[in-house]
Parts: sequence; structure tokens; C-alpha cells
Amino acid sequence: MSDNTLRGKVAVIGIGMSPVGKVPGKSPLWLAADAARKALADAGLDKRDVDGVLSCHAFASPFHRFSVAFSEYLGIQPTFSNTLQVSGATAATMFNIGAAAIHGGLAKVVLVVASDSLMTGLTPDLALRSLTESRDQQYEMPFGIPVANTFAMTAHRHMKEFGTTAEQLAEVAVTQRRHASRTPGAQQTAPITVDDVLNSGWVTTPYHKLDCSLISDGGAAFILTSAEHAKELGVAKPVYILGGGECYTHEHIFLMPSLTTTGAVESSRRAYEMAGYGPRDMHTAGVYDCFTGTVIMMLEDLGFCPKGEGGRFVADGQMTYGGQIPSNTHGGLLSFAHSGMPGSLFHFHEVIAQLRGQCGERQVPGAELGLVHSLGAGFATNATTILGTENTL
Amino acid sequence: MISAEDAMKKPVPAPDADSAALWRGLRDGVLLVQHCGDCRHVQYYQQGMCRHCGSESLSHRAASGRGRVHSFSVVHRAPGPAFKADVPYAVLLVDLEEGPRMISTYIGGKPEDVTFDMDVVLVCEPIDDSTTLPRFRRA
Repeated sequence: MSDNTLRGKVAVIGIGMSPVGKVPGKSPLWLAADAARKALADAGLDKRDVDGVLSCHAFASPFHRFSVAFSEYLGIQPTFSNTLQVSGATAATMFNIGAAAIHGGLAKVVLVVASDSLMTGLTPDLALRSLTESRDQQYEMPFGIPVANTFAMTAHRHMKEFGTTAEQLAEVAVTQRRHASRTPGAQQTAPITVDDVLNSGWVTTPYHKLDCSLISDGGAAFILTSAEHAKELGVAKPVYILGGGECYTHEHIFLMPSLTTTGAVESSRRAYEMAGYGPRDMHTAGVYDCFTGTVIMMLEDLGFCPKGEGGRFVADGQMTYGGQIPSNTHGGLLSFAHSGMPGSLFHFHEVIAQLRGQCGERQVPGAELGLVHSLGAGFATNATTILGTENTL
Repeated sequence: MISAEDAMKKPVPAPDADSAALWRGLRDGVLLVQHCGDCRHVQYYQQGMCRHCGSESLSHRAASGRGRVHSFSVVHRAPGPAFKADVPYAVLLVDLEEGPRMISTYIGGKPEDVTFDMDVVLVCEPIDDSTTLPRFRRA
């Protein structure tokens, strides 16, 4: 690992979250600003201390330059800002790019913030249609291909190649629902069984309704600054960005090099290399979970188990407490909340809270190293961030 | 923002400089794939240069129309109101005999009959006066 990477140079010093789930009467900008003021309070900073803002587009907001509109709404005039767009992978890219901007001197205090109101800001049909708008208007959309369908075809092929079963997919949803039941504010907390998942009705085969992530309102925000500045501020438990990596393998699902091995292999390899740690060193993970099969494939591609073993790994309890890598301990997109592109920020919120030891009855004992993997657009976009406590530097 | 009225319409492909020949060919009943004169790469997704070697010496040739199902998913919840009347329908990833993979939908049979590695054949299906979509039926 070379000295000029951002490893350990940037710390997360504040985290905040708006109410999530069904939050009627609140715009995406309000949800973002609410999360931001909580993150600022958590960091002990004032909004005037922020000189950088990174965000992503919200479907329920008319603003293309969301980060700019957000800054006006909050009443700040940053000198570094962008509205990023690599679908579901955007969350981890905001951390990677925010850290790079601080390390490179473009900003001193970066606010990473995103939100959307997919549940109450759009009708369900329009929310779904908004998600499908990102598919190709010539080659995909005329056939009626929802983004769920592209993910479904990867999972289906995974079942064919490796014998992954519908019950194993369902086990992901069941595990994460159990996690969400201990998370204050989670959108879905009622316990479910494998049979409940299998009987919840088809969305697009092999996915049933309960194999699919939620549609939610909500936002989250984070304050990033240099490790040095974090020390000057006397932050109690800074969480450091140790490594970041990305990989973009295709735009169209029919040009995905392999339906069952994704760009997460390379994005995580780069993040591990920068961090100087491997998958076996991680204590907890936020694994993008737009669908149950996505989690199984990611647990493989992030190196937590061999290719093809993901279904058995999950069924063996390896993604929960006492297993190899307790993942999505807040409940994830499947049970906590999924407000579109910002959804993966909730994974960051959880992993950072775990590394600070603030998760109460959800706490993973001794969590010092965590990974978050964000992805989107039928595995077209992949981004990984590795985080650690002071002890891991 | 998308209006409720727009959401009722099925998207129709708007051919561009890269794709005009493909859509013209489909209206004539053939699926044109691009063959690279330099590296022999064959591509379905139409572009002005070879994705493998960058050469612009590409020629359009009609594909045989024969292919095999690599993966599929039967859509039960439509992507918006425009497709509600069509469910359930099977979306296919088809490996063409010439090499490229493409995405399409299954016609001429029940969606639940689709299987992995099933042999399929191209059907050019006009959806209006100006647009024909490439779909597949069982071989």
C-alpha cells in the first residue's frame, strides 16, 4: 500500500438520520436537512463549518443539482459540491470521493447527505416507473423491463449454476427482519418466516415480494474531515476511512461479463488492498440488499465465502450474530428502509454506529473493522468502503 | 418528474445515429448485428466503433435469429401502468448463435414454459406503424 492513498487520513465525525419509512408531508430537502442538522450536532459543529457537500439526486425532488439546492435550503455556500449518480453505488462513492477531496485539499469538512421520498412523495406506480427510467430507452424499456428484473435474472442464473435455493434466498429476508426488529425506527419489524417469503406473491421470478427491498422515505447525513482536524476538535470516537474501491463492468445487463460474478470482486479487492485488511478481518458489514439474492452474491464477491457457497453461508447463520460476518444489523433495505439512491447510507450509519459501539442490543461485540458495499443498476455499478476505529490505523 | 399520463404509455425506442440501422432492419424482418472487419468481434448493441478493438470498419449482417436462453425472469409486477395488462411475461437473456447476448421477451407460449438453455427463434413483432421489436419464441 502506498503512502499517498487516503487510508486513515479522513475520519467520519458525525452521523445523522431523518425519520425513515413513511414520513408524509416532508420533502426530500427537508429530510436531508433534518439528517444534516443531526449529523452536525453529533459532530459538535455548526453549519458554517461545512465547506463541502456531496449528494445524489432524489426522484421526488425537482432539483437536478440536488447538492446545490440542498446547500441553499440549509443556508450554506460550500466551496466544494457535487450531485453524484452511479445509482445504488452512489452512497459508497460519496464517502470515497469525499475522503479524496479532503485528502487532496479541495475541502476541509465535507457533508455527505442524501434523501428521497419514494413512499409518500410519489405514487407507488410512479416510484417504480422512476426506478425503471434508468434502464435503456431503446434496448430495454420497450420490453417492460423493471430494474428488479435485471437483478432477478442474475439470481436465477446463480440458482441454476450453483444450486442456490428459494429457501436460501428467503433466509436473507428472514435474518434481516430479525435484525430490524431490534432497530428503533425501522420500517418493518414484524417477524417473518421462510414460508412467509415464499408465499408473499411473485414480483419477478425468482423474487417474491418479501425478497424485494422496501420503498421508503428518509435520509442520512455524515460529517467527514481530516484525521488531524478530528483530533483538533477532540472527537471522542472518530471512525476512519481505511480504503475505497469501485468497479463499473457494463451499462446494459446483456453486456454484463458474467451474471453471477460481479464488479464487487474488483471494487472490494481495491478497498481491501488500500486498507491493508482482508475479508476475514471484518467484524461487520453493510451489504447492499436491494434483493435477497443480491446479498448472497455479494457475500461471495466481497470474499466472505467462496463463489457459489453464498446460499449455504446465509442458511448456516454466517451473516448474523455469532456467524462469520454479521451483516445489515439494522435490517437493511429489505426491512429498515430503502429510499432509493440514499438507501445504502443507512448501511453506513449502522456500520459507523457499530464501530463506535453505540448499537445497544444490536451491538456486534468488539466491532473495530467494517465494510460497506453499495451497488446499483443491475450490478453495473459497484463501490466499496472500509472503515475502522483508531485501533485499526 | 414523470406525469401520470406519461406513465400510461409504453416507451417506444427512438433510434439514434448509432442504432438507426438496427430498427430499420427489424421493420424489414431481420436482426442486424455488427461484424468487425478487423477483429471479427460481433456486437448486438449498436455503436459506431467496435467495442473490442475500436475499429470503425463494421458491417451489418442479418443474424440467423437462432439463440439459447441464458437466463430469464417472469415479470408479475409490471414496471408501471403501461405494462399492467401484459403480466405475466418472461424476460429473456438470449445468447445469439453469432455470439452476442441480447435482452428480449418471450412470445407464442406460456411464460412458465421457459427454461434455461431453451432454444429460441427470433420473431419480429410490429408494435406500431414505425416500430418492430425483436422477440423470441420456442424453436
